[in-house]
Amino acid sequence: MGDSAHIQFDMIPSFLGVPVGDLEDLTNGQIAIIGYFCDNLDQPAAGQRYLARQLRYASRPGRAPAGAIDLGDVNVFPLEPDKHFSAVIAQCGAVLETGARIVLVGGDSSGLKALGGAAQLITGENVSVVSISESIASNISDDQPIVLSVDLQKLAGKWMSHPRRLTGLSPATMIANIHTTPGSVIAAAVFGLAPALDNRGSMETRAALAILQAVTERLEKGAP
Amino acid sequence: MNNAQKRLMIAGYGGLPFGEVSQCKPGNIGVLGVPSEARNGARMGASLAPDALRRMTGQLGTDLPINGRDLGNLDLSGDWSDALTQLVTQMLDHDVSTVVLGGASDVALAVLHAIPDLPVVAAMPIARGDVAARQVSTIWVGLNGEQPADVWDQISQRKMDWRTARQLDEGHAGSLAVPGRAVLWIDMSVIDLGYAAGVVGLNPAGMKPETLVSVIGAMPCSWQAIVITGLAPTRDTRGMAELAAIETLNAALRNG
Repeated sequence: MGDSAHIQFDMIPSFLGVPVGDLEDLTNGQIAIIGYFCDNLDQPAAGQRYLARQLRYASRPGRAPAGAIDLGDVNVFPLEPDKHFSAVIAQCGAVLETGARIVLVGGDSSGLKALGGAAQLITGENVSVVSISESIASNISDDQPIVLSVDLQKLAGKWMSHPRRLTGLSPATMIANIHTTPGSVIAAAVFGLAPALDNRGSMETRAALAILQAVTERLEKGAP
Repeated sequence: MNNAQKRLMIAGYGGLPFGEVSQCKPGNIGVLGVPSEARNGARMGASLAPDALRRMTGQLGTDLPINGRDLGNLDLSGDWSDALTQLVTQMLDHDVSTVVLGGASDVALAVLHAIPDLPVVAAMPIARGDVAARQVSTIWVGLNGEQPADVWDQISQRKMDWRTARQLDEGHAGSLAVPGRAVLWIDMSVIDLGYAAGVVGLNPAGMKPETLVSVIGAMPCSWQAIVITGLAPTRDTRGMAELAAIETLNAALRNG
């Protein structure tokens, strides 16, 4: 039996093949990668909730920072927005309180909003949400805590299985922006892509995986 | 358009309400589908383009920069060519710009027949003799490959302006002599098949979709009629050709 068969049957699929863990396993400075299964609350588009699952299944081990851990999915309540936001903020806050950093993967931009709220709550500071697809804010110092917004809808149409716009960023540009955006990244959200769940979506899935890897590397570094 | 088709769709192209020409106000657009099919050629499917474009604008939530009505699809059972010519004339008389979603190239010829005295901006890979022979000079966009000698003689003798696909992709569109009022004909085969497969013609080394959008969007022209032909949506499962058509049309409407 070859390696690919081992990967398919012997392991629980996890983001970038990192170990699967729980809140109790987290220590200061670790990177918690968390799935977000909700795509009906902010810039809704059905299918975005499947990105986390798609990236877990497409992942291969050995490409993530050593301290990264797959924490599973946050509990969501898509039909009860108030309960949903308070629950997601509380769960993300509990992770940040351990000193770990978060990548929230999948869903719509409501995950980013909740993550921003949690970061503000825990740090007590005015944490900026900085998008990698907009012009890089020069007034942010490298030690200022920020939440990185990685909206995969900003990818150019040619990278997508179901393009919604012709022009946009390439994955390489996104990765370069992830590494050069100023600020100390304490959390990031990778969202906005409804992946095709067949072979047609392999290109966008690989692009999203490379972007996720860059985000974890940036979180490990903190500052650019 | 028959009632069954109307019932199938909630809104028309770009969210425009379905309606009649009489409901269009001066300055509006009237969007008309003309689902004709090419009589020959291996790549069929242009007749599916009008409804595919409506469906995709619905999925994308495309907003048009101008108001108007979607007039549905033209009934092609009789002498539709004359009917189309009359409809375009009627709309222009009421100061309503026509947007025609083809269909094959015969759709554009019927539209041009209704507007004989306006110049045409023709985005197509091979220059056509019947368009070059019009009284007013044509501006050719995205020419690619070997051109018919007699047509090229006309273009040269009458000093018509033209750009090749390669020139445009390299950014040499700046000095095109675009008139203040004109008709725009976009044959989607002007796009390179490798970027957008949903077209009737095979055009290797044609224009990139984003180049087409930016070139048309940069033309400061009041379009009296816009015709899109040669789109074969079922040949492109990703929808890039439809997306290119929709974005080009929006870019043209923003200016015109």
